[in-house]
Amino acid sequence: MKQKSVLKQITKSREFSLVIVLIVLCIVATILNPSFISPTNIAQIFRNNALTMVMSVGMLCVLLTGGIDISVASILAFSGMIVGMLLKYKVLENTFLLFVLGCVIGIVCGLLNGLIISKGNVAPIISTMGFMYIWRGLAYVISNNQWASGADVVGYSDFGADGAAGPYIIIAVVFIAGFIVLKWTKAGRKIYAVGSNAEAARVSGINVDAVLIYTYVIMGFLSGLCGALSVSIYASAQPNMQYGLEMDIIASCVIGGVSMSGGRGSVVGTFLGALILALITRALPLVGIDAIAQNMVKGILILAVVVLNVVTQRMMDRANLERREM
Amino acid sequence: MAGKSGREISIASNKSALSRVLSWEGALVLIFIAVNILGVILSENYTAANVLRQMPRYLAEIFILFPMGYILILADIDISVGSIVCLSATMACFAGNAGLPFPVVILVCLLVGLICGAVNGAILAKFTELPSMIVTLATQIIFRGIAEVSMGSGGTISYTNSADLIPLTTMAGPFPISFFGVVIAAVIFIVVLSKTTFGRKLYAIGSNKTAAYYAGVKVEKIRFIVFSLAGLMSGFCALVLLSVLFSANTTTGQGFEMEVIAMAVFGGIATTGGKGNLVGGFIAAFIIVCLRVALGLINMNTQLILVIIGLMLIIAVLMPGISQRIKTMKKMAKQS
Repeated sequence: MKQKSVLKQITKSREFSLVIVLIVLCIVATILNPSFISPTNIAQIFRNNALTMVMSVGMLCVLLTGGIDISVASILAFSGMIVGMLLKYKVLENTFLLFVLGCVIGIVCGLLNGLIISKGNVAPIISTMGFMYIWRGLAYVISNNQWASGADVVGYSDFGADGAAGPYIIIAVVFIAGFIVLKWTKAGRKIYAVGSNAEAARVSGINVDAVLIYTYVIMGFLSGLCGALSVSIYASAQPNMQYGLEMDIIASCVIGGVSMSGGRGSVVGTFLGALILALITRALPLVGIDAIAQNMVKGILILAVVVLNVVTQRMMDRANLERREM
Repeated sequence: MAGKSGREISIASNKSALSRVLSWEGALVLIFIAVNILGVILSENYTAANVLRQMPRYLAEIFILFPMGYILILADIDISVGSIVCLSATMACFAGNAGLPFPVVILVCLLVGLICGAVNGAILAKFTELPSMIVTLATQIIFRGIAEVSMGSGGTISYTNSADLIPLTTMAGPFPISFFGVVIAAVIFIVVLSKTTFGRKLYAIGSNKTAAYYAGVKVEKIRFIVFSLAGLMSGFCALVLLSVLFSANTTTGQGFEMEVIAMAVFGGIATTGGKGNLVGGFIAAFIIVCLRVALGLINMNTQLILVIIGLMLIIAVLMPGISQRIKTMKKMAKQS
């Protein structure tokens, strides 16, 4: 087989087209409003979308195995609500311990998802839908019609306050760790193997159930972490917090080129997808589109991206076929 | 019942009465009775007349259950129905407030739903590679987005000529009129699914799409029809919802898609396609409605109902696996 040139490899990759979209978006937004590219604005974009970005890494792992997890926003609310209530009633006020607690809650939730999906042979969307109700309902029960406000979480919110480094560190650590694990470790490659062909993976000696379980545990861990982070960033905890976030997370994965049928997708693509979605949300008001119309435009853009993806794939397939015939 | 070739084509005919009760539908009927007994124990206000009077506000969702059952049998999913309900209700409010006669308002409501469903169907038929989850995720955001834009900054719109809607809320004897709507829809959808070639084609596509395609089933056309149906029935749902609420806002219909899917799955329809029937889904829907009414009567925290529904769903989907495991364990014990 002929060695492909480096340039050709780069231009043909999915990430390259995402980078171009990203650059075009930035240029257009900067022309319309020069302050768009300023450091403070960029920092705001990352801070406001920290939850989507962090959790999209977990969702990437889940989608890679061919599954889906729609309980993540509810796990976030459940862990965030516990953290918020502990702060409100001054039971526990150590920031570090509260983050650890949030993560542990998330891991337990993820473990339940993983066990039911792998050992119980239940379709992922159904199992996680059940837990979506359960955790969200429990978040309401814990709250007991109360909510934690800014005054309740006063010391704790310093971690994610405007200008603090906390959220950026978490985003960076999660993406770098995700990149390394999925690219260079056995555990990461097993996730790809299970997603591409579960039967083949089983025959070649991979414990498919174990892979599924730790994938959902990773997702749960990141959701729990984001629950604690959310309370810190937004300085409040309500039972209905981040309702519907799971759809944003899935959308950023899909924009980033992750396949819903499993086995295809990368951390870099996911990062770019989440960034594109974040930039669009931020850029729309600058282009003069009302806040009300933002959802509509966002939906149309998601649809356009996935349809474009299919069209280019078809063209590539056709081009490959023609070359073979010659 | 034997086919032309003399081969047995129906396995349901020679089931014993016991195995009928032990089937999932039989279990659902028992659960339904149990829920009603629970309701009577919990509250003295849990009487038939009371339950039927409380029912309309929970009935609306059931309209979407039937096409959703079809979609799940196709091994597809539609998560945009809640947004379609929101958009249909909003447009009906606009039409009613513009002074149009009520039949035209009904037509607008249903037509908006049908168009939304047809958009979903057309995209999915044109780009067959796309998973329905992603397409309907995008249209979910778009349809609700259009409703948000048309409602403006207030985020809510009320139906000013509320007298128009009164015919929809009348009681025919003890039954609310929307109850008959649900039953009629149920009969039509169940008969079409089990007795027509269209219904059998749905199962064929759901069990093996490629095989169905090569057997001459027009997969794309059927996908288009079924998703359009989901839109149309969402229009009906919006209409019933309007007759209860007299208004629409940006959160109208939020989460309906998941509740409806939960009912269908609880009723024994597999999301992997090709399995299940709507009878189970129909009974499951009424189990959940009765549970809601009962827990509502004792003023239980409405959010706790979410936990109960979630638990019921998980137990229901775990059951087949567990019974399978017990069976194999028994077999193993016999062999040794």
